[in-house]
Amino acid sequence: MIREEIQARILEIFRESFEIENPGLDDDLRDIHGFDSIDGIELLREIEIMLDSELTREEKEIAMEVRTINHILDYIQLMASQRSKG
Amino acid sequence: MERRVVITACAAITPIGNTRAEICRHLLNGISGVKPLRDDGLLSQYIQSGVFGTVDYPIAYDFKRQYSKTMGPVAYYACQVAKEVLDQAGLDPAFIGSGRLGVAFGSTHGSPTVQREIYKTFFGGSQTKFSSIGAVDYLKSMVHTTAVNITKMFGITGRVISSSTACTTSSQSIGFGYEAVKYGMQDAMICGGADEYDTTTVAVFDNLLACSTRFNATPHLTPRPFDVQRDGLVVGEGAGAVLLEEYEFARKRGAVILGEIIGFACNNNGGDLVLPNIDGITQTLKLALGEAKIHSDDVDLISAHATATKMGDVIEAQAIARVYGDKPSVTGLKSYMGHTMGSCGAIETILSLYMMAEGWIAPTLNLNEIDKRCAMIRHATELREADIRIAAIQNFAFGGVNTCLLLKRTDV
Repeated sequence: MIREEIQARILEIFRESFEIENPGLDDDLRDIHGFDSIDGIELLREIEIMLDSELTREEKEIAMEVRTINHILDYIQLMASQRSKG
Repeated sequence: MERRVVITACAAITPIGNTRAEICRHLLNGISGVKPLRDDGLLSQYIQSGVFGTVDYPIAYDFKRQYSKTMGPVAYYACQVAKEVLDQAGLDPAFIGSGRLGVAFGSTHGSPTVQREIYKTFFGGSQTKFSSIGAVDYLKSMVHTTAVNITKMFGITGRVISSSTACTTSSQSIGFGYEAVKYGMQDAMICGGADEYDTTTVAVFDNLLACSTRFNATPHLTPRPFDVQRDGLVVGEGAGAVLLEEYEFARKRGAVILGEIIGFACNNNGGDLVLPNIDGITQTLKLALGEAKIHSDDVDLISAHATATKMGDVIEAQAIARVYGDKPSVTGLKSYMGHTMGSCGAIETILSLYMMAEGWIAPTLNLNEIDKRCAMIRHATELREADIRIAAIQNFAFGGVNTCLLLKRTDV
C-alpha cells in the first residue's frame, strides 16, 4: 500500500470514527484535536484491519508514542514492511 | 458540624416528559406514559409482560464527541439531566472544578445495551478476526458510568459516590449526597440516577411473577398501585438529578431554593433479598423522622414506593399506617410512568418538589378500587389542592434496602 492510499484511508477513519475533519499532517492530535489514548486503541483496531494482521503487544505500545498523522503513516508503513519481510 | 442542605435545581427525563410543564400536564390530567414493550430482537419475545414506561420523545443532546465517546444510553440520560441542573443553578465555573462540588449518581447496572454488544462480540459469530471489545465499551457499560461521565463532562473534581442498589439507587444518591454536604465534606453535590431501556430487567421481574401482564392491550391501565386489580410492576426508563447545596452557600450566591432536605434514612431488612419486610420498612420511616427531628403528624404527603406488586403495596401501606396513621396523603407516582428503577427515587423527589411548589397532589393513577388490605391509609384518589409543607419519599429495593427522604418547603 502506498503512502497516499494509507493517508486517504486514515483521514477517512478520522472523519468517520473520530469526527476529526482534515487534520494537518503534522498537527499534534492530542493537543489540537483531543485525540486521546482511548482513541489510539480504537485506531489500532482499524490499523489491524488495514494490515490484515494482528499487532503484537510491543507493536501496540510503540504506537502509543505517535502524535501526528505523519507519525501514524510512518508507523503503518513500518508495520507493513516488517510483515512483507516476514 | 451539621449544616442545612437545600435543593437548588432539578431536572428529569421521564416517560411523562422532560420538562416541568410537560410532567405536570400529565400529572394534572391523569395521562400515563406506559406504552407497549418495544421489540428488542432478543428477549422481548419471551417476556409475558408487554408494557414499558417509555421515553419516546426526542431529546436534543448537544454533547461533543470527546464526551459522548465514553457514554452509553444511560450516561446520555445522566449527563443530560446533570447539564440541565448546572444550567439552572448557574454555579461559578471556578467552584465546579474546585473539589467542593461532588457527584452522587448511579444506575441499576450501567448500560445493558453496551453489555449486550460486548457479549455479541464473543458469542455472536463475528465476521472478522480483529473484532474485540471496543476500547470504550467498559467505560460505557460499567456500573459507575453515569457518575464519572458527569465528572468528565463538567470537570468536577470532588467526591464521587455511585450507588447501584436497584430501586433505591437514586434515593441513596440523594441521601448520601445530603450527608456529604450536611457534614461538611462537600459544599454541593449533583445527585440522581438513570436507567436506559432494558428488557433484561423486565425479564428478571417477569420471571419472578412480579411484572404486570393483564394489561398488555391497554398499557395506560397499568401499573395500578394499591388497586384490587393490580397485577405487578411495569419497568420504565428515565433519569433524575438534583443539585444539593449547603444552605448558607446557596443563600449567599442568591440561588433559588426549591426545597430543603431535612432527613434521610437507609437501612436493610437483614434477611430475605426479595420479600418486603414490614419491620424493616417501618424502621426506615421512623429513622427518617427521628433524623429530621419532626413528628409524623408534620408530614403532609407521602410519595410511596408503590410498585403495584401484590404484597409490596400491602406491606408498604401497613408500614405507613403504623408510623403515620391516616393523616398524610399517599400517592404512588409510578402509576404514571412505571418503575424507572435506578432513577425512581430522584424522579419521585422532583415530582414531589413540583407538587409542593404548585400546591396540589396528583392522585395514584388507576386506583379505582382500593385493596382492603391497603385501605387503612389516606390514598390520593383524585387531584386535590394541598398545602404541602413536608413530603416523604419512600423507596425499597431488592436486596432488602430501604430509604426514606424528607423534604421541606422552604417558605414554611
